[in-house]
Order: sequence, then structure tokens, then C-alpha cells
Amino acid sequence: MAKASAAITSSSSAEYFSKNLQQVGFSSYTKAALTTIKEAVDNSLDACEDADILPEISVTVQRLGEGSGKGADHIRVCVEDNGPGLLPEDVVKVFGEYLASSKFGRGRCSRGQQGIGISAATTWAQLTHARGALVITKTTKMRQAIKCQVEVDIKNNRGILKEKESYDWDRPSGVSCDFLIDARIQMQGEGGLLAYLNGVTLVNPHLTLHYKILDEDWVHIERIENTVPKIPEPTEPHPHTMKLGEFIAHSHLFGKTRVSAWLKTGFSRISDGILKELKEHGVKSSLLERAVSSLSQEEFKFIFMGIQKLKLMAPSTKSVLSIGEAGLAKSIQRIGAVDFFAVMSRKPTICDFKPVLVEVAIARMKDKGSEEESIALLRFANRVPLQFDKAGCAMTKAVVSVNWKAYGLAQPKNSLPLGPYIMAVSVVSPFIKFKNASKETVDASDELVEELRRALIQAGQRLSKHIRREVKEADLEKKRQHIELFAPILVDGACRISKAGKGRREKALEGLAKILGREAHLAEKELTEAIEHSEAALEKLAQVTGVLPAVQEEPEEQVEVGEQMSLDGIEEKKSKKEKRKGK
Amino acid sequence: MPARINVEKLSVEMCEKLLRDLERGKRPVLEATKCSLDNSLYNPKVGYLTPGDKKVQTELNVSSVKKMSRTIFVLELILRNIESGANNTKREVYYIAKGEIKHNPTLKPLDFEDQNESDEIIDFICEMMECYREDLNCFANDRGGQTYSGQLIVEETMPDGDKAVIDLSKLGTAPFQPKNRPQSLKLKARKKIDFCLIVESEGTANTLVSSGFTKRNNVILLGAQGVPSNAVRGWTKLIQEELAIPIYFFGDLDAYTLQNIFRTLKAGSAASLIRNQDFSAPDVKFLGVLPEDIKKYDLPDYAVKENDATESRALKKARDALENDPFFQDKKNKGLSDILKWLLKNKRRCEQQSFFSVNPRDPLMPEKIILDKIKNKNFV
Ligand SMILES: Nc1ncnc2c1ncn2[C@@H]1O[C@H](COP(=O)(O)OP(=O)(O)OP(=O)(O)O)[C@@H](O)[C@H]1O
Ligand SMILES: [Mg+2]
Repeated sequence: MAKASAAITSSSSAEYFSKNLQQVGFSSYTKAALTTIKEAVDNSLDACEDADILPEISVTVQRLGEGSGKGADHIRVCVEDNGPGLLPEDVVKVFGEYLASSKFGRGRCSRGQQGIGISAATTWAQLTHARGALVITKTTKMRQAIKCQVEVDIKNNRGILKEKESYDWDRPSGVSCDFLIDARIQMQGEGGLLAYLNGVTLVNPHLTLHYKILDEDWVHIERIENTVPKIPEPTEPHPHTMKLGEFIAHSHLFGKTRVSAWLKTGFSRISDGILKELKEHGVKSSLLERAVSSLSQEEFKFIFMGIQKLKLMAPSTKSVLSIGEAGLAKSIQRIGAVDFFAVMSRKPTICDFKPVLVEVAIARMKDKGSEEESIALLRFANRVPLQFDKAGCAMTKAVVSVNWKAYGLAQPKNSLPLGPYIMAVSVVSPFIKFKNASKETVDASDELVEELRRALIQAGQRLSKHIRREVKEADLEKKRQHIELFAPILVDGACRISKAGKGRREKALEGLAKILGREAHLAEKELTEAIEHSEAALEKLAQVTGVLPAVQEEPEEQVEVGEQMSLDGIEEKKSKKEKRKGK
Repeated sequence: MPARINVEKLSVEMCEKLLRDLERGKRPVLEATKCSLDNSLYNPKVGYLTPGDKKVQTELNVSSVKKMSRTIFVLELILRNIESGANNTKREVYYIAKGEIKHNPTLKPLDFEDQNESDEIIDFICEMMECYREDLNCFANDRGGQTYSGQLIVEETMPDGDKAVIDLSKLGTAPFQPKNRPQSLKLKARKKIDFCLIVESEGTANTLVSSGFTKRNNVILLGAQGVPSNAVRGWTKLIQEELAIPIYFFGDLDAYTLQNIFRTLKAGSAASLIRNQDFSAPDVKFLGVLPEDIKKYDLPDYAVKENDATESRALKKARDALENDPFFQDKKNKGLSDILKWLLKNKRRCEQQSFFSVNPRDPLMPEKIILDKIKNKNFV
């Protein structure tokens, strides 16, 4: 059977894309810089994953001067990886040809899908600086790396290789690509470079990333996971997720194969039993015995309609990949100082007949954002940060639809919640439905939004424990400070009036500290009770709403309230209030 | 009245105990007499409200630590005053405390926002030690109590031991103003005094004097000027104790006058349970205006405006008093509680000045009515 091959195929469209670069991420100078970096980094990550290599990527961005276009800077972007590298003959296709991709239609959760990304970057470089991509590549098979320049032959959708030379490169394999482009560097904000780099860091715990942007210092982020995520094998398409056209196109890969065999091997969830049912629905055995290539449009349609009427098992969820709660938990600490956080990995599930896996990480940051600002929402589709057009996105809709007040966050009506939080929402699926070609918004189907909501609610429940704890802790700390403020005044006054000496003063202050310790202890007990109470309440709610509360506990659940608060570790056995009779 | 309480000794004891508790890691507790109606006892034989045995215990914790610290701080200031013999008003104590805090930044957390806060601490110390504010050398403003008499002679022993003799008959129309230190005064009558009349309105008292009331009668006349101050209360008590003459109170017929003014004068108040003994005159009688006077003298009265906040509050308080105030509940004061009931039922009030309407052409008419009422024992 013709499994989608890893060979790089091409189709002619260079002219179209070069005229419509705005559709693929080059609609402004700031987006041009971001897109160039993003396409290169995504490719590096995909390539490393495919080759089972732990990725180490470095990104440098320099401003060389004024750009050729009005308001643009002359920017050099260089992305270097330790991936498998590209053969010289592939370099020219990858960087110089559109729709040349090894990932096309493979039903895998790879970042790249179409074979447009990096060629568009080459085109942009060529259009603005009359020079394509400068590429260094080495595979383990090559004795020496080669360095070359790739340009797009826009008329013919062909890559042109220039100035090829061998090059001494100190690594077993990898790709380095260098673009000179007109661009503007925007660091901050949702569409900023930092948001992208932080996002990539967050969802790729196995990535070591180095970057140097303009005059800033180098930033080095070490990997916190030492295994390359196993990209699950793709599953065959599920007939219920296809349109007739796709169904027919899919048949072309199968040529003279018998229809019954095509249906059974080319699709998931079609078995002999299903074929039997199909016959009961009027599809003749003779039709199923014919060669796929001999079917007419009408016959394809007849079979297609027949299958749509059958009840098929939902597609397998084996093809989706999860970042994992542990990975997210560790990774989120790499993007800044975190106060506390909660992560939630849902089990793979089916939405709109496609396998999806939703994960959520929420962190309260120590030095990012403020109580009055909206939380920073990071959206990911197949581990690629989505940075634009958030309004219509399924993930944004889901976040807005959750009542965050229930979990202790402020939230204006119909809006994102407020506070110094990062909220990362990731959707992984071999078939992500984007709203438009620039892949910035995920289509908000009811089923997907509902699945996202569940993940967010569960993460919110986990988070609220921390928030309640934090509020209580702050409260406790305030109380303690309050007493500590007055304690010496009280003791000193009493000492002066009763003419008590220094020794007694010290002892009294010590005793006071003990009393404070007890008070803290008591408050701590109260706190634990409050948390237990609210957990029980949440569980009850879950029974009513069908939303299950979080199953696992984050390992960092143990906040050291006890240690922090008990000044002396003395426990109060019984808090019996003494009551004395009046004289 | 001798110095009843050794504030210094009590203070040292209190601080000793506080330190001892702290040293043992035990929460110190300050105990004070509960000064509220639910801890007020009334025994008609005693004649004034006395404290029950309810105590307010202030245990050291987050919410009380500030009050405790303030208490010790103010106590220290007061002890300094007592030692040096300085006297101050509450307001002055407030400013002394503020000054002390200003010059000692570590005391900043104790700072008082306004005088109410420091007053509260002074009262708390009194309730704790069961002493008078005067025992703390802290004196209230002397308000009200302007006294007129043709017969009364007051002998005052001043703080330095000097004595002064005031013959009220020599003061013309100027009043004698009693100080809030009844213990330093001695009273004598140059001639037998028939009674003492306390008029709610200081203005009306003055009118009576100018029309010759004190010339024609052997009386003591004093103006209460609203709710009687400590000076008025202590002074009235002194008159009762030293002269043993009938004392009558003449004021408005309304719930406020009856409860807040007359009851306080006669039996003290719940807030001042500790001091009622020396600051109430149980023998005072309520001369009027009585409900029956309205008909008898055809006095102009008017309806209580129930939508008026103060008046409706007074009515509500009257209702509460009938239910909870041991003074009004006592059989011996049935006459007074009947007036309260009458007020609640009829929702009318009548002012003391209405006596001037009985015969507008006769300026002596109010005096005549008062004397008439006394003669006919027309009082409660
Ligand atoms: N750094 C790299 N190392 C190894 N192989 C690479 C690298 N970059 C690209 N490739 C190969 O080149 C192909 C084309 O890349 P390209 O970015 O054009 O398309 P894509 O990543 O498949 O899809 P998309 O248009 O969505 O990015 C990839 O499928 C991959 O096989
Ligand atoms: Mg790509």
C-alpha cells in the first residue's frame, strides 16, 4: 500500500505564494521577522523529532542598518540546529520550492504541514534584499558540510542553488539558515518575538534554546526533559472526517487496488463487518471487487454516501501526542519566575471525528503582568505558538467562556480574566482545522470549545487551591506582622510600668513569639480545612455538571506553609479559652 | 469622698500579670467590667444602676494587640500625670498622646486618628480598674449645672489645700458653676432650703432667676443643660447628700428627656456603671411636664414626627427601655414607665416652655405652676 512517503514532493505555486506572501505570515515588517524565525525553528524542531535527536537551537537576530523598504530595518536572522541535516539536493527544494514537504498530508502531529513556510521566507529575503537563504547543512553521511545560497525561481517554482562550497562545521549534523530581510523587530506583546520564544520553550521541554536578539545579551534556556517526544505513527484517515473530494483524491494513491482492500487498509475503522453492513445498505459486492482506478465519480459518491450512513467506531486517538503534565510543569518555570501554577493534560479524545488532545498550563508570574491587565494567553496548535487573530480562536473562546471568578481570578464580563498569569492552551491533533491559511486561529467548533473548557475548568480548580492558599497566606502574614509591630511596644510599656528588667523583657518577647507560632498553627489548620472543604464542594459540583475534578495532584502541591509560619514548631494541644469569674 | 482607688498599685499589678503570662507563653487577658445595659442591676433601695458580674475579657490576639498596646501606653501617660499631680481633660490627654507618638517614631503604630479613639482607651482603663476618670486625673469639661440660690454657701478645698467660700446670694444673677470634683466641696445653707429644682433648659432656669424665682423662694435652682454632665450629676448627688432636701426635675415630656436626661440624673447610666454611685441622685423626682399636665393646663403639645430620625430613635429606645432597662422595669419606677408607655401610645410630646403659654400675660405663671405642682405633690 502506498503509505505517504517521506520523499519530498513539489507542486507549482511559487508565483501564487510570492504574490500573496501576506497570506503566509509576511503581512508586515514585524510579522516578517517573526515568521522567518518561526518557520525555521518549527522546521528544526520537526526535523529533530523525526530523527530522534534532542534539539539544540540557536537564534540570532541582528540589525544591520536601514532596510530597503520605507520604515523597515535591514535585519539578519540566523537559525541553527543540530538536527539530521539536509542533503544538498534537498536543500534546494526545501528552501527554494513551494509545497515541497515530507510532511504533506501525513496525518501526523508535526508542526509543519504544507511545505510553504521556509520557501516563503526565502522569497521574502529575495524580494527585499535580492539574496535568498544562505544555508549550511550537514548530514551524518556527509564528510563535510556544505554552504550554499538558495533562491526561488518564482516563474517555475524551482529552487536555484548558488555559490555552493564545502564548509568546516564542528557538528555531526544540522542545518543553519541565514536570511537578510527587511523587517522590524518587536520584542514585547502578544505578537512579539519573546512571546514566540517563550511559547516554544514552554511546549518543548526537551528543547535547549539559545537566542540573542539585537543588543540584548545571549539567553540560554536548558532542556528539562531528556527524551525526544515520540511522535505517534499516523493513523489512516477516518471516512467520516472526509469530504467527497478528499475521499476521491485519497483513492489516487491506491491505483488498481480492489475497492474493498482500499477501504479496509486506506481508512481507519473499516472492517469486514462494516463492509458487510455496506452491502446491506445496497452497495453491490461486484462494486467492491472492482479496481479503485476504474470507479466513476458517481460510483465513488455512492460508496461514500453509503459509508456516511454507517455507524463507525470513532477514530483512534493513538496518533495524538501529549506534552505531559510533568513536562509542562517543569517547562513553565523556564519562562520566568513563577509564584505557583497548575497544569492539566486531558486524555486524547475525539472532537468533530478527529483525535485531539488538549493541555493547559496556568502560572502566576512574579514579575510579568499585573492585577489590572488581562492574563497572557498563549495558544498552541501542534506545539506551534499562535500569536495573531486570537479573537475568533477556539482557545480564546473557551477561556472567555469559563467563569474564572469561581477560581479566584478577576474577570470582566465576556473577557479574558485579569492578573499576572500566563495561561497556555495547547491543542494537538493530526487534523487541526484552522480558520484561515495563515494558521493563526483554530476553528471554534462546539465540540472542541467544550473539550477546551473542560481542560480549563480542571486547571482552574487546581489553580484555585493555590490562589486560596495564597490569599490566606498573605492574610496570615499580615496578621503576624501586625502583632510583631505592636509586641515590643506592649512589652516595653508593661516593663516600664512594673519596673521589670531586661531579662524579663526578653523572656516576655520570647513567650509572645510562641503565642504567635500557635496562632499561625491554628490559622494553618483553618487553611487546610478550607481547602478540603472546597475540594469536596468541587467534587459535588462535578457530579452535577459532569465535569470531573482534577485526578492527579501536581507534585509541587506542598507549599511550605507550615515551615514558614510555625516560628518555633510548638503545637498547641488544645485551644481552651480560659474564662475567669469576676471578682 | 476619699481617694477610693490606688491607680498606681493596680497598674503595676496589671503589668506584672501581663508580663508573667507572656513569659510563660500564655496569652494575657485584660479584664474589664462590662458597662452595658445587659450588665446593669437596679435595686430601688440602692437607687442607681450598679454593675453585674459580667466581664469583658480582652485576650491578646491579632485583633486586640493594638488596643492592649494603646492601653499600656495611655496608662503610662496617666501614671506620669498622677505622679506629678497634673490634671487633664480627655482632649488634652489625646493631644499629649499624639505629641508623645510624634516624638517617638517607634510608637507610630499606636497613633490615634481622633479623640474618640483615645477616649475609648481611657474609658477602658476605668472599666478595668473600676475607677473614676477623675481617679486618673482626667477631667471632663464642666458643662451645665449653673446654680442659683439665695441661701446656698459652697466651701471649696482647692488642690493646694487653700479654702474658698462662695456665697451664692452674693452672685447676683450670675450662676455658680460646680466643678467636676464634688469631693472638694462642702455645702451649707444660710437658711433652710425648701427644695432644689433642676431645669432641663439652662435658658429657662435663667428666665426663672431673672423673674425673681430665687428671690421669692428658698431654693436651689440649677440648669441641667441637656444630658447631665458628670459635674451636674456629682453636684446633684452632693446636694442630696449634704442638704437632704427634695429635688425636682423639670423638663420636656418626651422619651429622650425621660430616659437620657432624667434617668441618668436619678440612677446613672449603663455606660457609667462604675461611677453611678457618686454620680446619680436617686431622690430626684420628675416634676413634669407630666401627661396629665397637658389637659390640666391645656398645654400646647404636638405629634412626634415618626419620620424624624432622632425622634423615632428615641421612641425605639423607649420601647427597648421598657423591655430591657432594669430601672424602668422596677415596680418602684412604675410612674415613670407609665409615662414612657403613654408617650409610646400617644406619640405626642410637650415641652417645658409650654408653661409660658398658660397665661401669656403673666410672666410668673410658670413659677406658679411649678410651686403648685410641688405643693400638690403632682410629680412622679
Ligand atoms: N532544519 C531542517 N532540518 C532537516 N530537514 C528540514 C529542515 N527544515 C526543513 N526540512 C525539511 O524540509 C521540508 C519542507 O519544509 P517547509 O518548511 O517548507 O515545509 P513544512 O515544514 O513541511 O510545512 P510548513 O509549510 O507548514 O512549514 C520539511 O518537511 C522537512 O522535511
Ligand atoms: Mg516548515
